[in-house]
Amino acid sequence: MITLGHYLAVAAALFGIGLVGFLTRRNLITSFLCAEMMLQGVAINFVAFARYHGNLQGQAFVVFILAVAACEAAVALALFVMLYRRGKSLDASVWQSLRELGVPPAVDTEPLPAAPRAEDEIRLPPAGVRPAAPADEEEAARV
Amino acid sequence: MPLSTLTPFQLSVGQIALAVLLAAAGFYLLLPRPRRRRVGVGVAALLAAAAVFAAWLVTTFAGPMPDLVGSGLFGFFACGALGFGTVLVTQRNPARGAIAFAFVILSTCGLFLLLAAPLLMAATIIVYAGAIVVTFLFVLMLSQTGGPSDENDRSREPLFGSLAGFAFTGLVLFALYLTQLGSTATAGDPAPVPPQRLPVTVLTAAERKTLLDVVARLDAAPEGLGADPAPPGSGEPAAAYFDSIRNDLETVTGSIGQRLGVAGAMPDDPRAEPLRTDEQAAAVLRRVAAVREANENASRAVINHLFEGRPDRSAVIAELRKVRDEALLLSGSADLPARNTANLGYLLYTQHLLAIELAGILLLIATIGAVVITQRKGVAA
Repeated sequence: MITLGHYLAVAAALFGIGLVGFLTRRNLITSFLCAEMMLQGVAINFVAFARYHGNLQGQAFVVFILAVAACEAAVALALFVMLYRRGKSLDASVWQSLRELGVPPAVDTEPLPAAPRAEDEIRLPPAGVRPAAPADEEEAARV
Repeated sequence: MPLSTLTPFQLSVGQIALAVLLAAAGFYLLLPRPRRRRVGVGVAALLAAAAVFAAWLVTTFAGPMPDLVGSGLFGFFACGALGFGTVLVTQRNPARGAIAFAFVILSTCGLFLLLAAPLLMAATIIVYAGAIVVTFLFVLMLSQTGGPSDENDRSREPLFGSLAGFAFTGLVLFALYLTQLGSTATAGDPAPVPPQRLPVTVLTAAERKTLLDVVARLDAAPEGLGADPAPPGSGEPAAAYFDSIRNDLETVTGSIGQRLGVAGAMPDDPRAEPLRTDEQAAAVLRRVAAVREANENASRAVINHLFEGRPDRSAVIAELRKVRDEALLLSGSADLPARNTANLGYLLYTQHLLAIELAGILLLIATIGAVVITQRKGVAA
C-alpha cells in the first residue's frame, strides 16, 4: 500500500534533483526548468498531505503555487530576453561580475572541444540553381 | 560486518547514505563537461542509487495491504518523474531538456491523480503546457546550436553541487525516517515501528450518498416553502418532506459520531482501530457537530414557519442553505473522493478569498513587469 511516506520521499528526491540542476547548470533556461521541478516536488508534498488529512487545504496551496510559478515564468523569461540582448549568451557565468566583493571569479580552464568544420557539413544547393560539380569531376569531364 | 547484525536504524541510515553517495557520483559523472563524460558508469551509479532508494522505501514505509494497481501506478509515475528529472539536469541540449521537463510534469500530474486532485492535474498541464511551449520558443531562438558552448557544455562545480543537493535530500529522508519511527527513537534503542492498521473509515460510501441526496433535496426545498405546500416532485406534504431530511441527517451524523468518537464500532474488523484520535477524525467530528446544530436550527425554523407563519421565508431559506452547505462540506471532508473540484472551489472562495485576490494582483503585476523588463528604451514601438 502506498502511504504518505512514499509520496514525501519521492517529492524530496524530485526536489533534490532539481536543486542539483539549479546549482550546477549554467544555462539560464535549464536552471529555470530545474527551479520549476523543485516547485513540483513541493506541490506533491502539499497534495499528499491534503489526501492524508482528508481535507483540501493542501490543494488550495498548490493552486497558489501554480499562480506564483506562472508569475515566475513570465518574469524569468523576460529577464532572459533582456540578458541575452546585453550578453549575447544564456550562460549565467557571463554575469559573474555581479558577485560579492572578495569572491574570486570562476575561470574556465578546460578548453571546449572544437566545433565541427563547416566543410564537413552537407549543404544542399538552392532550388532552381544547377549545383556546382566537384573539381575532380570537372577534370574527368575535360579528359 | 554482516548485514544481519545491523539494527533497523543503522540499516536505514546506511541505505540513505549509500543512495545519496551513489546519486551524487552518478550526477557528477553525467553532468556536462568539456571532456568526454563517463555515461555508462554514471548511469550505472544512478541505477544503483535508485535501487537502494527503492529498497529503503520498501523497508521503511511498506504497508500490510498489497495494492498492486495503485502501487504499480505510483511506481510508474514516480520513476517517470525522477528519471526524466535526471535527464533534464544531465542533458546538454536545452531543447531535449525541455522535452524531459514536459514528461516530469506529466508524471507529476499522474501522482496528482493518484492523490485525488483532478483539478490540479488539469491546471498543471494547462499552465505548464503554455510555459513549455514558450520555453521551446526561447530555446530555439536563443540557444547556441552551432557547436559547443559554455552554457551547455560546462557545469558549475559539479562535484560540490551534486553533493550539496543530495546531502540535503538525504537529510530530508533521514528526518522522514525519524518521523516514521517516532520521537523517542535513538541510535542505540530504536522505538518499535507500530504495525500499520486499517483505520476506521470516517465516512462510508452509503453515508456520503445519503448526504449528497439530502443536499439535492435541500436545493429543491425553498420552492416548498411558498404557496405550494409540497416541493416539486416529492409527492409528500412539506412538513413530512422536511422531517425526512432532518431524520436522514440525524441518522448519518449519529452513525458517524458513534463510529468515530463514542462506541468504537466495527468490532468484526480485527485490523481496525477502535477509536480514531487523529486530526482527520477530529475535524470530521467537528463538522458533524456543526451539521447537527444547523439541522436543529433549520428544523425549528421550518416548523415555526409552516405552522405559525414566522420567521419569514427568507430567514428559513437562509437556515436551510446553512444546513445544505454544512452537509456538503461533511460529504466532502472524508477520504477525499476524486470528485472534489466543487469542494475545492467552495474552499477557495470562502476561506481563501483574499489570497485569491492577491494571486490575481500578483499575476497582473508579473505581466506588467515582463512587458516593462523586455521593453527597449529609445526604440519606437
